[in-house]
Amino acid sequence: MSLSDLVLSIADNKQMLGLRYAEWATRAPSLEADIAAAAMGLDDLGHSRVLYGCLEPLGEDPRGLDRESDPESLRALPYFDEPWSEWAQFVAANAILDAAFTVMIEACVNGSVEVLQHRLRKMLIEERYHFLHGRSWLRSGINPEPLNHAWREAIEWFGPPDGEIAALHKGGLLSMGPPHLRTRLEEQLETRAPKLQIDWKSWDGVRRRGRPGAIDRRTFEMLRGLDERKPEAV
Amino acid sequence: MTTYKRVSGDAVEYEVFARKTRAEPLHQVGSVVAPDDDLAVAYARATYDEERWCEMAIVRKEHVIELWQPGEP
Repeated sequence: MSLSDLVLSIADNKQMLGLRYAEWATRAPSLEADIAAAAMGLDDLGHSRVLYGCLEPLGEDPRGLDRESDPESLRALPYFDEPWSEWAQFVAANAILDAAFTVMIEACVNGSVEVLQHRLRKMLIEERYHFLHGRSWLRSGINPEPLNHAWREAIEWFGPPDGEIAALHKGGLLSMGPPHLRTRLEEQLETRAPKLQIDWKSWDGVRRRGRPGAIDRRTFEMLRGLDERKPEAV
Repeated sequence: MTTYKRVSGDAVEYEVFARKTRAEPLHQVGSVVAPDDDLAVAYARATYDEERWCEMAIVRKEHVIELWQPGEP
């Protein structure tokens, strides 16, 4: 895996995170939370566009032709495969996964690659508000199931201790490797990740996820701009 | 039909202040309601970020000391 593969993974995940945030822009528990969901959705969709734009200057674009036709070609986490049915899923994604992507972006900004140092720095400022939002809702107490789910996917996404992210860190391209990324995330959230058994042998190192699956065809077409969301029948 | 609330949990009202240039004073641009400072910061930024402010600040309404109110001498 190259640095471009990692940047594509962050971009795909932020695109899906933005979409799922936006779906809650009229369903959150309060009017303020609705507005925050919309604003964070816009931020993350914007971040994904910046990240896709980094692929060319990095010199290698891992996007193949299958991205036009195959939802499984997207490198987003299983957490985003289905729309979230409860607010706790939103909070867990906001607090854990959004923060995990930010920690990785921090590792890119503080690494040795100039284009990432410059283009991704502003994201860290915007992400501060996502972090405050997620941490506050997390402290108010949520169902532990989506929380554990999000932690597992974040740790899996960081990758195995001796995998490609560790190699990118060793080469100086990233300022943190998997153990540091996890520690940094725990420090920020002022909590520890649950004890997890991860089977790295069955882990998909390209899509950085522990199980197969993808978004449904309609959502895939909508992301490509070929379909529209229709209002639900009342 | 969605029923909107301002906040869940214990509500605290915050006044939001901002300015576009260093030369102009901070002025009130609105308010948000949130259960804590962190969420109030996130809500203020999300709600009032449509303009290019060079500074934004929030203050708990209960911390504002009023000298007099409309209608008072």
